[in-house]
Amino acid sequence: MADLRDLPLVDATVSESATCVEAVARLFEAQVPALAVVADDGRLVGVLSELDVLRAVFPGYLAELRHTAFLEDDPDALDARARTVRDRPVGELARKVEVLDGDESETHAAERFLHTGEQALPVVERGRLLGMLSIAALCHARLDRVDT
Amino acid sequence: MDVVALVIFALALALIAIEWVHRTKVALAGAAAMVLIGVLDQEGAIEAVDWATLGLLAGMMVIVGLTEPTGVFTFLALRVAQLSKGNPVALVFLLALVTGLLSAFLDNLTAILLVVPVTLLIADLLRISPIPLVLVEIVASNIGGTATLIGDPPNIMIGTARAELSFVDFIVNLAPVAIVTLLVVTCGLALAFRGQLRVDRARAREIAALDAARDLREAKHVRRTLAVLLGTIAAFFLHTLLHVEPAVVALTGATVMLLVAADDVEAALERIEWSTLFFFVGLFVMVGGLEQRGVVDDIAGRLADATGGSPTAEGLVVLWGAAAGSALVDNIPFTAAMIPVVDSVQGGDFDDGLWWALALGACFGGNATMIAAAANVAATGILDRNGHPVSFVRFLALGLPVTLVSLLIATAYLLVFQL
Repeated sequence: MADLRDLPLVDATVSESATCVEAVARLFEAQVPALAVVADDGRLVGVLSELDVLRAVFPGYLAELRHTAFLEDDPDALDARARTVRDRPVGELARKVEVLDGDESETHAAERFLHTGEQALPVVERGRLLGMLSIAALCHARLDRVDT
Repeated sequence: MDVVALVIFALALALIAIEWVHRTKVALAGAAAMVLIGVLDQEGAIEAVDWATLGLLAGMMVIVGLTEPTGVFTFLALRVAQLSKGNPVALVFLLALVTGLLSAFLDNLTAILLVVPVTLLIADLLRISPIPLVLVEIVASNIGGTATLIGDPPNIMIGTARAELSFVDFIVNLAPVAIVTLLVVTCGLALAFRGQLRVDRARAREIAALDAARDLREAKHVRRTLAVLLGTIAAFFLHTLLHVEPAVVALTGATVMLLVAADDVEAALERIEWSTLFFFVGLFVMVGGLEQRGVVDDIAGRLADATGGSPTAEGLVVLWGAAAGSALVDNIPFTAAMIPVVDSVQGGDFDDGLWWALALGACFGGNATMIAAAANVAATGILDRNGHPVSFVRFLALGLPVTLVSLLIATAYLLVFQL
């Protein structure tokens, strides 16, 4: 069995002073569901996931409404919101999440993904960020390792 | 020991009022302390719990929880926004009407949780601030909830504590004064807010063009869910004729709802707010301790002495005292404590006037401050999460005059018709 440090971790970080639009571009390019948000000294501040960005880009009350099939896009309102969100510093949107340790097992990581609802978590070793582990990377490594 | 009981209860009320700790933790800790210290024993604690209230609450939670996914409540709120055609006064009145009606027949907290998110959407589409609309809805939910036995937790507790008071009695004695109060207060609020609610006609036309019923058409079990909801409300009206208590009506309605409209029973039962039910359990045990130790009789005796035994003076003290207590603490624990006091004041003579005074005071007092009713806390919380914070003082500036006007109307009503 491999420890988490041996899995294909992604170097998906963004500075807490970067803008939201830069973070979204990074999310899109890195192909992971969440970025590790780091301070200028490299310290891990939190994560920014695709859902966090979705909540910021679209009105917050959508999370409390369960019925919106009647709605049509309101381009002026969406544009106005996008204008206020795109230059927001990532540090304002970052969330604290638990981290995985490089010497922990794949099974433990799977259990943490199931119970935290996160789709990617930071893996650290002695306080140093090794990279982001996504559910897809974890499962891909597990399936790829067995003989066919 | 009676001093110990009183201190535990007063401390719990203070902690609930300042919201340092979740109210359910406070109530359960207070109840546990009373049992452990020996204010009342285990049997006394179990006897003190009003299981009918818990049954009624749990039943309604399941019924509403299974109706909500149909989208019928979103449809109603959106439809009234369309009917207002961008007229701010009409919008305020229609939203107050829908919220008041939903509060009366579901409960005020549920009504708020259903209408406030849609109101944020409507305000966004109309390019107006949602704050005035949501404040109107909070006020309407507390006044509308006053109208029925199931509309507001204080009424649920009163209705289940005194079997003599039927669902129809609540409507006959409280709905007229609630309707008049809602109309008067909404007029005042519409006047106060009219400057902030100017709507662009073009935006109103865009809302009017939305297909409000689309979610309803796509939802599952809409007809059968609505049939059970309306059937349950009809059964509340008929419960004395049917010789069943309101809790039985609610639990039967919930069972039928589970049978005909719940694809996943586990998920449906997750709609039961266990923290609320345990909050009530803790309160009932603490109040049971006060009763057992004679504190309730003592307070009732002082109340009777202060009023000289005059039913009119007693009624007015109960009305204004309940409103003040609800405003400062929370109307649920205050009503839980007042029910045995009113019972004791009455002795063997049943007089419904005092109960209506308690219901009106506790429910109307719920509008005074941000913490006075669970609906206020929930609605201002949703506003805050969506970038529209309302300060305690801003709420008070609206809530206090609204409560005073409501209490003056209630005073006149009680003096003329009840006391």
